[in-house]
Amino acid sequence: MAIYAEPRLLPCGDRALSVELGDEISREVNARVLALEYLIQQKALAGVTETVPTFRALLVYYDPFAVRYEEVAAFLRALATQARPDVLPPARTVEIPCCYGGELGFELDAAAAKIGLSPDEMARLHASADYYVYFVGFTPGLPYMTGMPERLTIPRLETPRTKTPPGSVGIGGTQCSIYSVESPGGFWVLGRTPLRLYDPAAADPILLRAGDHVRFRMIDRAEFDRIDAAVAAGAFTPKIEEAPR
Amino acid sequence: MKLVVHDPGPMTTVQDLGRPGYLRVGIPDSGPVDREAFVLANRLVGNPDGAAGLECTLIGPRLEFSDERAVAVTGADMAAVLNGTETPRWQAFRVKAGDVLKFGPARSGVRAYVAVSGGITTPPALGSRSTYVRGALGGLGGRALRKGDQLPLGRPGAVRTGRVKAGRAADYAAEPEVRVVLGPQDDRFNARGIAAFLEGPYEMLPQSDRMGARLKGPFIEHTRGHDIISDGVALGGIQVIGDGQPIVLLVDRQSTGGYTKIATVCSFDIGRIGQVKPGQRLRFRKVTVAEAHAELRARREQLDSAVESIV
Repeated sequence: MAIYAEPRLLPCGDRALSVELGDEISREVNARVLALEYLIQQKALAGVTETVPTFRALLVYYDPFAVRYEEVAAFLRALATQARPDVLPPARTVEIPCCYGGELGFELDAAAAKIGLSPDEMARLHASADYYVYFVGFTPGLPYMTGMPERLTIPRLETPRTKTPPGSVGIGGTQCSIYSVESPGGFWVLGRTPLRLYDPAAADPILLRAGDHVRFRMIDRAEFDRIDAAVAAGAFTPKIEEAPR
Repeated sequence: MKLVVHDPGPMTTVQDLGRPGYLRVGIPDSGPVDREAFVLANRLVGNPDGAAGLECTLIGPRLEFSDERAVAVTGADMAAVLNGTETPRWQAFRVKAGDVLKFGPARSGVRAYVAVSGGITTPPALGSRSTYVRGALGGLGGRALRKGDQLPLGRPGAVRTGRVKAGRAADYAAEPEVRVVLGPQDDRFNARGIAAFLEGPYEMLPQSDRMGARLKGPFIEHTRGHDIISDGVALGGIQVIGDGQPIVLLVDRQSTGGYTKIATVCSFDIGRIGQVKPGQRLRFRKVTVAEAHAELRARREQLDSAVESIV
């Protein structure tokens, strides 16, 4: 059973509870999580302070001085029955320019050899797909994405590297992600985007949102440098279009 | 109108009550680890609860004032000395231009809070002055303080100063009992694992920081492995990974994680965890959500009646 008949409500201390809607990683369950979050935003129950969507659960923070646990739980149970994907507004497709291979995509050659493709084929295949952002988190702005062509499935690095530059586009298992801050990592780095998934200096510091679609566009090093300079100068607008859910 | 940092100490940051609202995009709420001690410091100098102050970790800074202010120090005992004379904690005192406040290593507790009347007025980022070092956000340049930094201060209002009533200040020497609500993944541990967790004790490890308190103690046994489908991590969530040891996630935590969480520390005991020194021990005690909420109310009443004014 992928989607539970009744949501599971799990207390997380005295100020939060987790609403689990299913037991698998699927677009269907995740769309319901996002729909539940959307309905909470629309109906704004006093005392619900913050929500964190993930693959199959929504973490809901509340203020126990403003609302009782039982009230929050009843509110969430009722909304969960209406949390269908069709309540959501249209999604977005965000174009992420990516320079594959070379010093920016320093593991493309090794990853391609590992799965028996040429580096060019691997980059082309990676850039051909429509990716879906289940949620954003762990570090600021980091997207959890699937949609990668099956042919690119690859075990994670045996020894995680200690530092990965922000903007690195990595793959591991069937997932793809983009490192948002310098951090350790176990994904193979195929390329890098000059866009900033997290920009602490910006008014809106986060590029991607839960429910977004992502398309990678192959760029060469010269274009990477051009966009990088424009981003640094605050003169680059990412290409974002409305997309069907 | 400024505070000069002569010596920053290993990890001193500007904090206010935090940056709620951005966990859904991976930005933690930050703010002081020990919220009660922080709020008391502000109240002692007549500031609003959310005025920005300093959180000092293990060894405090050396600071110079450039005008007249009321100052209060709460939390860990770092032997604060004003112009060569030790100053009391949990009580406001006056400083004037040129005065130097110097801290040493913590004798008890881990985190000391310094409030200055008028508050620190570094530019807010996403609605908060709290420093989130990993995300280079807030505070002064998104980083811990450095030698030579100058912190801007706000205009103090009509300053009412106070002290914490006798017997009401926290004592960090004893082994604390930290209250937890079991879950969200307590069903992924067997009875032996849960019993070991609740029996303890657990020792604080030196690798602990604002992201998480790493503990060492009785092995906590899983039933079906330690991986879950990644979900949100509430403040105080206690992750247990393959080594059977708990990590309590704190104010600068990752917003989501893929490990089983056996229990969640109640919000009113987060600050107490943040004052357990490496090598000191603590125990966990199970409460229900209803018991936690009753305690939360009692703690707020205690906090609200803890300060008396200095005439």
